[in-house]
Amino acid sequence: MSSNRPRVGVLGMIKGFSFSWLPSLLIILALLALWEGYVRIFDVQKWLLPSPVVIAATLVESAALLSRHAWVTLVEVLVGFGLALASGVALASMIAFSRTLERAIYPFVIASQTIPIIAVAPLLLIWIGYGLAPKVIVVALIAFFPIVVNMVDGLKSADPDMVSLMRTLGANRRDIFMKVQFPSSLPFLFSGTKIAMTFSVIGAVIGEWVGSSAGLGYLMIRSKPQFLTERVFAAIVVLSAMGILLFLFVGLVERLVIPWWHTERRKRALENSG
Amino acid sequence: MNAEAAESSIQPAIQVQGVSKSFMQSGTPLAVLKGVDFYASDGELVSVIGPSGCGKSTLLNIIAGLDQPSEGSISLNGRVEERRLGEVGYMQQRDLLMPWRSVLDNAIIGLELQGVSKSEAHARARALLEEFGLTGFENEYPHALSGGMRQRAAFLRTVLADQEVFLLDEPFGALDALTRSQIQEWLLGMWRRVQKTIVLVTHDVDEAIFLSDRVYVMSSRPGRMKLVQVIDLARPRHAEMVTQPRFVELKAQLLASVRSEVTDV
Ligand SMILES: Nc1ncnc2c1ncn2[C@@H]1O[C@H](COP(=O)(O)OP(=O)(O)OP(=O)(O)O)[C@@H](O)[C@H]1O
Ligand SMILES: [Mg+2]
Repeated sequence: MSSNRPRVGVLGMIKGFSFSWLPSLLIILALLALWEGYVRIFDVQKWLLPSPVVIAATLVESAALLSRHAWVTLVEVLVGFGLALASGVALASMIAFSRTLERAIYPFVIASQTIPIIAVAPLLLIWIGYGLAPKVIVVALIAFFPIVVNMVDGLKSADPDMVSLMRTLGANRRDIFMKVQFPSSLPFLFSGTKIAMTFSVIGAVIGEWVGSSAGLGYLMIRSKPQFLTERVFAAIVVLSAMGILLFLFVGLVERLVIPWWHTERRKRALENSG
Repeated sequence: MNAEAAESSIQPAIQVQGVSKSFMQSGTPLAVLKGVDFYASDGELVSVIGPSGCGKSTLLNIIAGLDQPSEGSISLNGRVEERRLGEVGYMQQRDLLMPWRSVLDNAIIGLELQGVSKSEAHARARALLEEFGLTGFENEYPHALSGGMRQRAAFLRTVLADQEVFLLDEPFGALDALTRSQIQEWLLGMWRRVQKTIVLVTHDVDEAIFLSDRVYVMSSRPGRMKLVQVIDLARPRHAEMVTQPRFVELKAQLLASVRSEVTDV
């Protein structure tokens, strides 16, 4: 119906944007104000709980320090995530391609998540030493799981009638995989990737806590015994900003790679709403 | 083409002989087809009508090679063929357009699988866009198309793959009456031009008569062919023909046959 059009126009988008972001922005501002007020009224010590204004000042003063360590963490996150993505897609493809491979591989994929990463990380340190490698491995170990699980589900979600159609057109297993199963799995892969991206940031910090000489995790661990609590908070702010930006980046890539998914979903939503 | 021609030395494009099929359903075998005999001559348009669940789609699945019969055989051009996948074009009731491909890329999937280069395949598809009423929509994703357009895009995909036989399973089921009668006339024009053998499954007796050379009526499950009716209406056919005495007469016969089955269910 043409009378429905304006709802998805520019006005609708602005409306949608403010409706989705305004509440969370208001909540954050209110919480920050409460926090600031509490610290000032009760005169809480800076090393116990720094106020938002103090943390903001630290962010500015220590910008160089923070960005140096943030860079180290970012590299660990991206390399580890890349490894997780590559191995996750490869494993999921193998699992979905053959029953035998599924039975052989899937138990190990699941078992890998039952291993407490905190316990393994120090061992990695002993085996491979300090530096980038052990952190990358911790990141990859945490991040590959949501990728594999989601992508396997996605590959299996392919429409069986579409597979039949391909077969009547003379397609072989490989054609069906590449032209039906793989594209069908992409929305699932991106869901898994968004989870994996945020897990990666956590993984990098864990890796740094266990043993490192740089990175935001390292900075936190070093600042705490020096009672530089405002610096710990500043590192957390940078870390979560990094996580949010990476998450949004994945969303952006998703929109570029599978534009059909969003239009399809919006159409379905419109149909359901009337 | 008529029944006598098929009995001559020319081999039918499709011949189904004594085909039975049963499925296991919760441990017990369910007989879906029982001794189906059926043929379609080269260039013929044959319809199959029958009550819901009588095994029409099962029969098409078997002809296409997606499934094998429990008993009986299928011959293509006079030779018994066990491996029929890729030989027979099959358009299922759902259009099965891939949401991640543009209309043009959906249309060329068959050519792509045959190893035709993308530019060549696109050129062949573009040449037919106008005839299929898809001009200006070739770069859209399928969700932007109306039901009738989606159906025509699926047709274009089938036509471009260029197999000798097209099996169409209720291709107009999802369309409203007006679109439906337009696309029926359009299909006839298309069929005359491409000279393919078409097997059409439908629920609609009018549609079967209007389009076909012969109409098969299937019994309720387990399905078998209970009646074959030659449609001796002149071609080309026009929408006004549905009021002609011969059309009405044929319709009465076929409806009686179909109705006696439906009440049995
Ligand atoms: N793979 C299968 N496994 C088990 N039962 C099946 C299978 N395929 C079809 N059937 C059963 O066979 C019967 C005939 O199904 P089929 O789809 O061929 O009917 P149809 O004549 O095409 O019906 P409709 O007109 O509703 O499309 C149904 O009862 C169905 O449940
Ligand atoms: Mg059916």
